[in-house]
Amino acid sequence: MPHHPSYLGVFLTFARNSLIRDMMFRANFIIEAISSVSWMAMNLGFYAIVYQKTDHIAGWGRYEFFVFIATTMLINSIVQTFFMPNAQELSELVRTGGLDFALLKPIDTQFLVSLHRVNWASLGNFVVALALLGYSVPRVEGFEFSPWQLVLYPVYVILGVFILYSVMIALAATSIWLGRNQSLYDFWFYITNFSRYPMEIYQGPWGTPLRQIFTFVIPILVVINVPARIMAWPLSADQAPLAVFAVLATAMSLLGSRWVFKKALWSYRSASS
Amino acid sequence: MNAIEIRGLKKSYRVYQKKEGLWASLTGLFQREYRDVEAVRGIDLDVEQGEFVAFLGPNGAGKTTTLKLLSGVISPSGGQARVLGHVPWQRENEYRRRFALVMGQKNQLWWDLPAQESFRLHQKIYRIDTDQFQRTLDELVDMLDVRHVLKQPVRELSLGERMKMELTAALLHSPEVLFLDEPTIGLDVIAQHNVQKFLKHYQEKRKITILLTSHYMKDIAALCRRVVIIAHGDIMYDGSLAGIVDRFSGHKVLSLQFADGRMPSDLARYGEVLEVVEPKARLKVDRSSIAKVLSSVLANHTIEDVSVEDPPLEDVIAEMFALSAEDDQTAPNNSPVPSPQP
Repeated sequence: MPHHPSYLGVFLTFARNSLIRDMMFRANFIIEAISSVSWMAMNLGFYAIVYQKTDHIAGWGRYEFFVFIATTMLINSIVQTFFMPNAQELSELVRTGGLDFALLKPIDTQFLVSLHRVNWASLGNFVVALALLGYSVPRVEGFEFSPWQLVLYPVYVILGVFILYSVMIALAATSIWLGRNQSLYDFWFYITNFSRYPMEIYQGPWGTPLRQIFTFVIPILVVINVPARIMAWPLSADQAPLAVFAVLATAMSLLGSRWVFKKALWSYRSASS
Repeated sequence: MNAIEIRGLKKSYRVYQKKEGLWASLTGLFQREYRDVEAVRGIDLDVEQGEFVAFLGPNGAGKTTTLKLLSGVISPSGGQARVLGHVPWQRENEYRRRFALVMGQKNQLWWDLPAQESFRLHQKIYRIDTDQFQRTLDELVDMLDVRHVLKQPVRELSLGERMKMELTAALLHSPEVLFLDEPTIGLDVIAQHNVQKFLKHYQEKRKITILLTSHYMKDIAALCRRVVIIAHGDIMYDGSLAGIVDRFSGHKVLSLQFADGRMPSDLARYGEVLEVVEPKARLKVDRSSIAKVLSSVLANHTIEDVSVEDPPLEDVIAEMFALSAEDDQTAPNNSPVPSPQP
């Protein structure tokens, strides 16, 4: 028997079991898919209204901004599909002692805890986001297609997902320290709110420090901004420093969250029998 | 060879002392009082490969904590332990492939899915090759007689069936050491018996090392030659089940049936009167004086029937727990008697 578990095999089984489960509760699955797609549609409608009054928000024209929104939807749908149900469940696992079982398995505990459920219903948004992207990109003023965009865009979308995941799992892991029902997980929603807007709007005595904090301390501003710029703007050397920084930021975030998670597991107390 | 070696193993928890009332709860936000609870207080234990050992003790005695320490779920405050040569709380994959933990009060199977989907997941996690997996699974489901419910969602199974599925899941990777935490809790007599029968058979066949905690004396009498009694975090006894009575009970129970209803009124001079239902009486008599008392009774009264027995094991153990609770009022959960039998 090989000594390392097949991580891909385990993940595919998680995905398969989750799909079987979702199909058992079909109505719930459909409702969830529809409600998340409508939420996105409403968001989009809101910005469509805003762009009736103005041509630019902080330098982003209508279709450029739609590319930005599509990128937000794309990244969020991936996070919601693969990571969010698990991070949410972590404090429950701590409360009930279900984490015990995860710790017994000969496989990386963070992997197991982060991916054991896949929420397939959230992938509805992924499809909508791709459609919006396909619609908006050609309509961007002065759009010039470069094959590099097709390579870089997916890469930076995935890096963005990793940053959001890192912040999420590190915050959720605090429930292992804080114990029952207590977690900093909700902060994820407050913090990531800031990532949903172009960096350029953070200016002035309040905006600049916010931009710096959310770029260099908790790097959530690069999550959407970097891939969105790659797709919406012509590729230029000016973007390179931020793009290089995003790679570093992703690596640091993943390492940081790994450290927090391991530290937290070490102090796990387990629930009473 | 020892499968399990424990030296001076300790675990204490800091517990937040919540006071009653809203005001106290609010002040508790700023000023917290903590108390240290010693769940395990430096135990030493060796278990040989292939032994089937029972942990017996009241609620809060430290049994489950010990099993969790040995499974590496939690780390100790002091002391050492090695299981199959590994330090459990280092959580090495190599160790985690070689043991299993089953908890009677917790469920590790996917609740909404048939158990076989969870089994398939275990196959992937432990990377068991397909032939071997199928063989082990067939063997286990036949032994436990659960083939007919393999395709039923776990939430629709009876408690007994679910426990059998939990056992199957735990044994799929053929562990060398098995920790069982109250595997028969809440089961009816028949399901309990089935689980016992399975465990006995499986252990004899595979010669694996099993550490079992239970409240049910019947589990232990049926399965384990060696019993370790743990109360308030300390080991109080380590030996055979029968040995408990010899060691901890200083008396015997003398049952008498008097002829023609001639029951003497001064029975108490022979020993402590436990029960009188004329013409029968039961007395508690010091072990050392049983011969003297018996001959004196036979000389002075007309006796139709007589028997001398050891007190029931449950009573001896309950008495022992009560004593240890008196010795130690500071320990948590001072419940002196084990849970009632179902």
